[in-house]
Amino acid sequence: MSVTTRYPERTRPAPITVSQIGIAILSLLTFTGVMAGIWRLIVGLGEGTALSNAYPWGVWIGFDFTLIAFSGSAFTMASVVYLLQRAEYRPVMVPAVLAGLLGYAAVLFFLFLDLGRWDRFHHFILYWNVHSPLFEICWCVLLYTTVLFLENSPLVLERFGLEKPVELIHRYVIPISVAGLTLSSLHQSTLGTLYLNMPHRLHPLWYSPLLSLLFFLSSVMAGLSLAMIAYVAAGRIWREAVNSELLGGLARGVAGVTLLYVSLKLGDIVQAGELSALLAFDRMSWLMGAELGLGAVLPALLFLIPAVRRSRRGQVSGAILVLFGVLMNRFNATLFAQTTPSGETYSPNSIEWLSAMGIVAGAVLAWYLAIRYLIEPEDAAHAVAHH
Amino acid sequence: MSKKAERQLSRRDFLRGVGALTGALTLESVTGSRVEASETEVAPDAVGVLIDLTRCTGCRTCEAACKAAHGFPPPDGGETSLSADTLTYVDVRENVEGADGPLHVKRQCMHCVHPACASACTVGALHKTPEGPVTYNAGKCIGCRYCQYACPFGVPAFQWEETLGLIAKCDFCINRLEEGQQPACVSDCPTGALKFGKRRALLREAAARMDTHPDRYLNHVYGEHEAGGTSMLYLSPARFEDLGFPELGSQPIPRRAEFVMKQTPMVALTVATAASGLCWLRTRREESGACVEAGKKERTKR
Ligand code: SF4
Ligand code: SF4
Ligand code: SF4
Repeated sequence: MSVTTRYPERTRPAPITVSQIGIAILSLLTFTGVMAGIWRLIVGLGEGTALSNAYPWGVWIGFDFTLIAFSGSAFTMASVVYLLQRAEYRPVMVPAVLAGLLGYAAVLFFLFLDLGRWDRFHHFILYWNVHSPLFEICWCVLLYTTVLFLENSPLVLERFGLEKPVELIHRYVIPISVAGLTLSSLHQSTLGTLYLNMPHRLHPLWYSPLLSLLFFLSSVMAGLSLAMIAYVAAGRIWREAVNSELLGGLARGVAGVTLLYVSLKLGDIVQAGELSALLAFDRMSWLMGAELGLGAVLPALLFLIPAVRRSRRGQVSGAILVLFGVLMNRFNATLFAQTTPSGETYSPNSIEWLSAMGIVAGAVLAWYLAIRYLIEPEDAAHAVAHH
Repeated sequence: MSKKAERQLSRRDFLRGVGALTGALTLESVTGSRVEASETEVAPDAVGVLIDLTRCTGCRTCEAACKAAHGFPPPDGGETSLSADTLTYVDVRENVEGADGPLHVKRQCMHCVHPACASACTVGALHKTPEGPVTYNAGKCIGCRYCQYACPFGVPAFQWEETLGLIAKCDFCINRLEEGQQPACVSDCPTGALKFGKRRALLREAAARMDTHPDRYLNHVYGEHEAGGTSMLYLSPARFEDLGFPELGSQPIPRRAEFVMKQTPMVALTVATAASGLCWLRTRREESGACVEAGKKERTKR
């Protein structure tokens, strides 16, 4: 099966290209998002959002938790390359670690918009509550964003010929990766722990004593899948052929972790006696069916088929299905599977949508520009340790 | 196409790595689920309020007293929910089985013995005092609203109208208590539906009332055991689930999350050790001095 696509020669001066249209749309979305965000900060959460005492968290938190899971691309790929010593995965790692940094940057913007007292963003550093999952998440996100800065900084430092700091980072790349993996396993799982405090609100199909573990595993699934997508996209931007064997290897990893996830989740549903709720064919059962069936079982089975793992279309669609499943899972847990005694509903207003789209578009745009102008494909192939 | 890359990554090392992490986290999750509901320890002098629904006439004096005590504008008409300037309200329940007319249920913070709000709060702005009240330090709060999800009674309300919003909830009139006074709602209640006192004494009183008038009361004090117990105790002629009270076990809500959070150092240590060990093993196998072989230039370009 052919795995390469021939890309047309770069023509210059060019008529308006697809990427230019893409940049224009992303810039416009980012700009309207910034405006919407500023508006929300001026008018407050009551006027700026559709949130209420019955639904204090909305799409912003949904995006936060989804983006953190997707940004698992960074710790998973750094672990593959530096801790499992699979150096051949470096070309996949570079776009994935960059996506991780921008994902976490986006999360910080979302949190900033979401806090009632955004002027006290730093309070978790001053006031400690070690019982609080959110307290731990704040600390881990702060420290892990630092790790991601360090991991990505050679890309910029090398542009300016700053060899000394780059060498320093190379020397400590292993401890940095160990710290990244440790911090990630902590906060990715703690995002699940956070829901353990809501047995009265979260639907029993989602509430489980295994939430911490399930959130961690799904962040590995989503992280590896996003790394696959980012690698394919970077290949197009670089006009380089991507290595299909690497994608196949990752697909295999995704299949393994996803099967583990599915068996734990199904086992948990059966053990909790909720099988009837899963098969009730009501709203909740459809939501769980979609996230688990379409977003986990299907891609796991697809990725077990060697032919699918070898074909570009199979690799990409499997990864997208997993990302869809994890996105559904995070939105279900924060919104759709939350019950309110009063039966109130929430539907996000245009400020929430515009700012959310803007933050995501800004992150994608920054990733695109960095891949295109900051990284040479050969840098990616032997990143960090290429001296 | 060669399957080397595939086999190398996933089967051997990758799953082994994930396996180690999974092991650590499973241990944490599974043991977390087995935490037994322990005896709920209540300080002997902890205070509470006994709310007797059979004595409440729905006059709403408590609503007005509460607003006055907290400097909120007086209510215009009856409130129908807790909000940033309504820390208590009287919930009118019509056509309840077991009651002759409508029942009036005063709602406010329950001042849980093991408050989930305080356990969840990112910055520890909510605090359980040994005397009973669950207090709120507005100077710490970042407005993350996690407490609104953790509270099983839907109590904390957010100041949605403010540019910089904070949380509002009943503070048990802690300032009045410190001056030796009773909470404003209790002081002003004209019918004796609200009774302030030591929680233990109130439980005895509740038992006595149920004994003397078994026809009048359901044999259940809501708040004695719910979610590990609350400072606010309710007596009712009708079933509590018909009055909008959540059915909570006797297990304190925050137990599970707190157990898992306690394992944080253990998980961190396990993951860091396992990851370093794995890396070290891999390096030895490849007989390389440094953990990452420098200059492995594997171009993917064809
Ligand atoms: S104790 Fe004080 S704050 Fe709480 S409901 Fe009564 S009057 Fe309001
Ligand atoms: S009722 Fe809610 S707000 Fe009040 S102490 Fe309990 S958990 Fe906290
Ligand atoms: S909103 Fe304030 S009180 Fe509530 S959990 Fe967040 S920081 Fe704590």
